[in-house]
Amino acid sequence: MTAVDGATILLVEDNETIRHAVSILLEESGYRVTQAASGTEALEKAADQPPDVILMDLGLPDMSGLDVTRRIKADPVTRRSRVIAITGRAMETDEAACLDAGCSGYVAKPVDTRQLLRMIEVELGKKG
Amino acid sequence: MIELQLFIRGDRQEAARLREVLEREGFVLDGGSLGDRTSDIRISASNNGSTAAEKEEVARQVEELEIAVRELRNLDVAKSQFLANVSHELRTPLTAIVTYGEVLRDGLLGDLNDRQREAVQSVIGSSRQLLTMIEEILTYARTGARAIELEPSHFPIHSVIEAAHDMSASLIRKKSLQFEIDVDGELPIAAADRDKVLHVLTNLVGNAIEFTPSNGLIRVSARRCEDDPAWLCVSVEDSGIGIDPEYHEMIFREFAQVDSSRARQHHGTGLGLAIARNFIQLHGGQIGVTSELGGGSTFYFTLPSVEANGDSESD
Repeated sequence: MTAVDGATILLVEDNETIRHAVSILLEESGYRVTQAASGTEALEKAADQPPDVILMDLGLPDMSGLDVTRRIKADPVTRRSRVIAITGRAMETDEAACLDAGCSGYVAKPVDTRQLLRMIEVELGKKG
Repeated sequence: MIELQLFIRGDRQEAARLREVLEREGFVLDGGSLGDRTSDIRISASNNGSTAAEKEEVARQVEELEIAVRELRNLDVAKSQFLANVSHELRTPLTAIVTYGEVLRDGLLGDLNDRQREAVQSVIGSSRQLLTMIEEILTYARTGARAIELEPSHFPIHSVIEAAHDMSASLIRKKSLQFEIDVDGELPIAAADRDKVLHVLTNLVGNAIEFTPSNGLIRVSARRCEDDPAWLCVSVEDSGIGIDPEYHEMIFREFAQVDSSRARQHHGTGLGLAIARNFIQLHGGQIGVTSELGGGSTFYFTLPSVEANGDSESD
């Protein structure tokens, strides 16, 4: 049994098509996926059932993904979730700001799906 | 007396031309210099020799010019903003295409036969190529909108040259190119924005690879500039198809590519060198090329530097 089986992922992404594509990737790879299209929805769903890993798009309509991450990390209920930031492109947000906000990792769009799956496995391994 | 202060964006040739014109008109110049912003060149000029009516006329013309320049700047920013918005909007659906493609390729929705996998791989490859071009337009639009700020640090130039080589290593291998790095050991440390310099070098090396036939040579060198030892002179030399001197200036302009049947086989946005020029000019440096058709090309650029004296200044 690998770390993958049954692990939960909260996918935070405002674009419906990308959310659908990534959720197929994750579900077909064996994860249980919940989705959120905004920062507010992400905070609600994370508090409701803290996921193992959160994939956080940084460009959300209502608040910055980094702010959402800070709140998740500040809340004792959700702080154990590992956050992987997904950003439009490398030059837009620097990695230091992501790590500073509490993200464990950082990938640029378009995400290399194999790389993303590897990163998730690594984060699950760290979570133990 | 008429006094003028002109700021010209980072282009020394442009500044020299303007100074010539002003001198012809009887202005006394106080030696143009770099302004507070490293990208601007300042020229102060005064003219004592005119009658009151002439002075008034000049003052009026200057005012009109200032208005025209302001309007042009606004237009330029609007254009860049538009480009940035459009490329941002194009990225989202393309990102989805790539992700769906990779899900299919990796058999997550069922096994594919070889030909199906090949077709999906082409969808992914072409989409990524398109994305790279869109990224380039976005970068260009940001520099045009002056939305890019330099984040200077101190670093040895050879580290960036090696990084640029590593990023292109697979392409270099594929064409069996010889890649040489020739860096003087006693060089001062570059004082520049490392990411921007890497972007420029990757672009120049990428061009060299693209326009050099298999088994050719690419040599990246760095040394002190001959005319000013406080600057680094970095060059990327190739044994490729070369560029007709007629096009040497044009290729640094946006959306321009050498219009020959040979070059038309090569694709791209035509923005790579324009971005490189922007980045180098933001540093106050110069970029250019020496080349002959059929005789290879040498692209060079200059960067500010600090002496490597073991100070703990670098970061």
